Order: sequence, then structure tokens, then C-alpha cells
Amino acid sequence: MKKSFKFVLLVLLVSGLILAGCPSRKVVQPEVEQRPTVTPKETTQKAAEVKPEEKITEPRFAKIETKEEASKYTEERGLFEDIHFDFDKYDIRPDAKPILQNVASWLLKNTSAKILVEGHCDERGTNEYNLALGDRRAKAARDYLIALGIASNRIEMLSYGEEKPLCKESTEECWTKNRRGHFVILKEAGK
Amino acid sequence: MKKSKEPSAKSVGQKGKNKIIRSILLVLCSMLYALCIALCVEAKVYIDISSPAFKKLPIAIQEFSGPSGKEISNIIRDDLEFTGLFLYIDRNAYLENPSQPFNPKNWTPIGVEAIVKGSVQEGKELSVTVSLYEVFEGKEIFKKEYKAEKEFIRPLSHAIANDIYYTLTGETGIFRSRISFVAEDKDKIGIYIMDWDGNRITNMGLKGNIILPPRWSRDGTKLIYSAERNRQWGIYLLYFKNMSERKVFSAKGTNIVGDFLPEGNDITLSSSKDGTPDLYIMNLNNNQIIKLTSSYGIEVSPAVSPDGKYIAFVSDRGGSPQIYTMRRDGSDRRRITFEGSYNTSPSWSPKGDRIVFVGRRGTNQIFTVRPDGSGLTQLTTVRNNEEPSFSPDGMYITFSSDRNRIRGIYIMRANGESQKRITPKNLRASGPRWSPN
Repeated sequence: MKKSFKFVLLVLLVSGLILAGCPSRKVVQPEVEQRPTVTPKETTQKAAEVKPEEKITEPRFAKIETKEEASKYTEERGLFEDIHFDFDKYDIRPDAKPILQNVASWLLKNTSAKILVEGHCDERGTNEYNLALGDRRAKAARDYLIALGIASNRIEMLSYGEEKPLCKESTEECWTKNRRGHFVILKEAGK
Repeated sequence: MKKSKEPSAKSVGQKGKNKIIRSILLVLCSMLYALCIALCVEAKVYIDISSPAFKKLPIAIQEFSGPSGKEISNIIRDDLEFTGLFLYIDRNAYLENPSQPFNPKNWTPIGVEAIVKGSVQEGKELSVTVSLYEVFEGKEIFKKEYKAEKEFIRPLSHAIANDIYYTLTGETGIFRSRISFVAEDKDKIGIYIMDWDGNRITNMGLKGNIILPPRWSRDGTKLIYSAERNRQWGIYLLYFKNMSERKVFSAKGTNIVGDFLPEGNDITLSSSKDGTPDLYIMNLNNNQIIKLTSSYGIEVSPAVSPDGKYIAFVSDRGGSPQIYTMRRDGSDRRRITFEGSYNTSPSWSPKGDRIVFVGRRGTNQIFTVRPDGSGLTQLTTVRNNEEPSFSPDGMYITFSSDRNRIRGIYIMRANGESQKRITPKNLRASGPRWSPN
């Protein structure tokens, strides 16, 4: 019994040592003495026994077309001037106030009309942040119109971020023009 | 006599038992030993890329024999060279003919440590046999046969490069990964997919007035993106399996998808449906939506950490757009960028140890930072560089740049080295995202 117990201990010890001696990652390093002793013949034969095979393939995608829904409204542009914003800002500037006043007066007269306020940015920012910024610009204009007595359900908003520049050059002049709130009159289609 | 015999009989029995135990143990021991050997072999690598002091591995890639042999071996060479982990030794220097058997004596004089050899047979499909030899051990360390239809010659070559890369580094290669992006397509914006090296650009057919750059699901089977259609910002899901598109979210205001969460059925998004752009998590199965932030200002671009526990995002609550992190329930907000007045577009590294983003310093440049805000590193300097995201192994970053006038897609190593354009010069392309596999 004692003997076999010793043997078990020995086996456990040896296997433990073997396992401990097994590194999780062994970097093969060049060993100079080894080089001349290697003969190519024995080695090439050894590895050739294993010959895994793999078939490489890929799914073929069929193209799909985007479904475009027909618009409920026709758009009328150009009746109002754009309002402009400072870089990375969404507060209404003093020079925008007369324009917004104009838009409000027109809406008070044309009671069946709806208006769309588009928020735009210059190209210098990044596109997702610019979409959020354009959203805030459109909202700033909308809030101003609501304060002037226009019902909120008559004012739609849409941010285009930097995606629809009015002016396409990379100049300060273009950027100034592109940071804008744009007004579009919406009329129900078919009327 | 009887009495004395009995114990001796017992001892014989004991001896027999011991023998059995011993042989069982011997077998067990040798099995353990074999297992250990197997483990050791499995874990063996030839370049330890995790070591900061690693040395480039000098590699030779013989021109493969047979039809398309040159094309295949060149693709493998380009893949391995871009990693920056290998020192490719030019074919003119080789002393050994591609047809000669491997002999380490032919390679030690020119300093090569690993050699790739291969042959191609062309029948109905391509059949490629590839061997990888290691000079110091003087033996073949990898051999495999590949089959593919001829149109898949590039994925075939990338698969070979992946296996070679894995054998030498122990890491999974990215050579079969792809990059999604958006590009101008006859006055509209279309969604495209290409190989990571810029080859095989495929137009997915989806077009729109404005489509924002898609994001991959974590299993690589879907793309999700935001698009403006009919004056509505909606979030759409594209399933590759049957190439079908589904609108998953739409509301009044600006709705922009962030990322998939690891669970696969949840996404982060930014929506101004309650007035200002705030962040939400939405379940794609039951359309349930949870609001994470409420602020007067802008909260946008919610990027999910690889473990799904944290969200990095952009907020202007401090007066300028800056990057913050929070837990996925919206708690524990922390600002992590402090330099510059415009930091946006965060995206996580696959290990979660870095966040790559765009910082405006006169022009837009790409930076990385640790999620705790330390270790800020600038990676680009020339003109505008935007929309960065990591490769699935974290070794590379793809981004868009206008440094050659027309905006295109670029890749670079995660330390900023080897920046190169991968889309054609005349294609106005942006919003690259690396596939997860």
C-alpha cells in the first residue's frame, strides 16, 4: 500500500511538473547550435501526414432596391430668406429675428398652410453631431415661431446636418451660408 | 503452513492490484504528458506580437506554381506585409527555386525565418496546397489544401494568409474581414461593402437621399443604419441572409442609430422625439425603448463597449461637444476628453481598452484615449480625418479622409503607421465600419 501511495505521489508530482513546465505561450527563438544538425528530408515527410482541407466560399448577395413612399405634401421653396447661425451654435441671432417675424406673419395670414423648418450645418464638424446640431437649430427656429403665436402642429422640423450644403466650397463664405435654417411651405398633395 | 500461505496469497493479490493501479497510473501519466505536449505545440508562436520588443519576422513567400499562382501568393504577401509584423524578403534574393524541396540551408544565408510555398491546380475550381516552413526548426509547421471557385480567388488567398498569420502569431487574422461604407451613387447615397484591402467593392443597391454610415451587428449578419426618407429620419435593418430591409424605428425628429449591444437584439440610438437629442436603448424584438439621458442640449453617437456595460457618447452639456462615458443604464456619467473644444464620433477598441474619436484642432483629426480619459494619442495630422473604427483584432483603424481632395476610405495601424487609401480616387466615399468577423 505504502509503495503504491508513493508511486501515486510520484506520478502526480511528475505530471504536475510537466504541466507547470508547459508554457502558455512559447516563442520559438533561433538557436544557433541547432541549425546545422537539421536535415530537410526527415522533416518534410513527417508533417505531410496531416492534410486538412477547407472549401472557401461566400454568399452571393442579391441587390435590393429601396422602397420610396410617395410624399403627402408638395413643397414650395424660396418664399422666405434663410436664417443663419454661428459655428457650433444653435441660438437665434438678432439678424434672424426679422425673418422669423416675417414667417410668423405669413403663417398667421395663411391659416391652412404648414411650414417645414430645415436645420443645416457647415461641413467642418462630424456628420452625426451635425445632424443633432441641425436638429437643435430647427428647434430653435420652431420655438421662436411658437412664441410668436404659431400652433406647434403647423411647424414641421427636419435636420439635414451637413448633408445638403447650399455652397460646396471649403471657404469661410460658404460655411457661413451653409449654417442655416431654411423654410419650406408644405401643401397637401392634390390640393 | 496454511497460515503462512494465506498472507502470501494475499500479498500476491495485493501485488496484482498494485500492478493494475500502476499500469492505470502509467497510462494516465502518459495521457497527461501527451496532453501537455499537445498544449505546448498548440501554444507555440513564432512572433509574440503582444511583446513590446517583438522583432519583425523575416518571411519569404515563393511564387506559387500553377495558374493564378502569382496572384494568390501576391495577395498573401500584401496581407502579411500590411500588418507590419513581417519583414518580407524579396523573391530576387531567394537561393531556392520554388520547385526545389525546402532546405533550411538555402534560407539561413539570406536571413529568412519562415517560408511559404504553394501550388495551384485548376479544374472546375481552384485547388491550392500551401506549406509553411520554419528555418530554425528546419521543418514544415503547417500544410493545408484549399478549394474555391475561381471568382473567390481573393477570399481564398485571404484564408491562406489568415492560417499563416495564426500559425506564426497565435492570433486570428483579419484578412477575410470587410468594410461597409456609404458613397455617392448618381446624386444619391448608396451602401457599399468591400474587402478590408479595398478590393471587390459591392454596391448593395440601397439608395437614398441621405443614408448615414451603417453599423454591423456583432455576428456580422446584419447592418443597421439611419436614413432620411420623406422628411423622416428612420432606423433601418438590413438582413444579409435574405437581403431584406426592415424599418425598426421612426419618430418625429432626428433619429440616429448608435450601435448593437452584445445581446444582438438591443440597439442604442439618439432621438430628438422628446424635444432634444437624447440617448435610448431599444429592443428590436418588442420595440421597447428605454430613455438613458435627459438634457437640454445635444446627446448623440452612443457607442457600446465590447462587454456591453458602458456607452461612450457625445454631449454638449459642458458648452462644447465632448466625449463622455456612462453605464448602460445611464448612470455614472464621466467626461473623458478635455483637450480641444470639439470631440466627437467615439468608437471602442475590441478589447475595450481604448476609444478612438475625432478631435477638431483646426481640422478634424483622429485620436485615441483610454476609457478613463488618460493616454490621449493623436494618430493623423493631414487635412480632415473622420469616422474612425477599429478592426476586429484591434490592430488597425479605418477612417475617412479628404487629404487627396475627394473624400475616401483609409486604413492604418492602430498606432497611426502605414496610412493608405483603399477606395478609388474618384469615388466619393465615407463612413467606413469594419466587420466584426
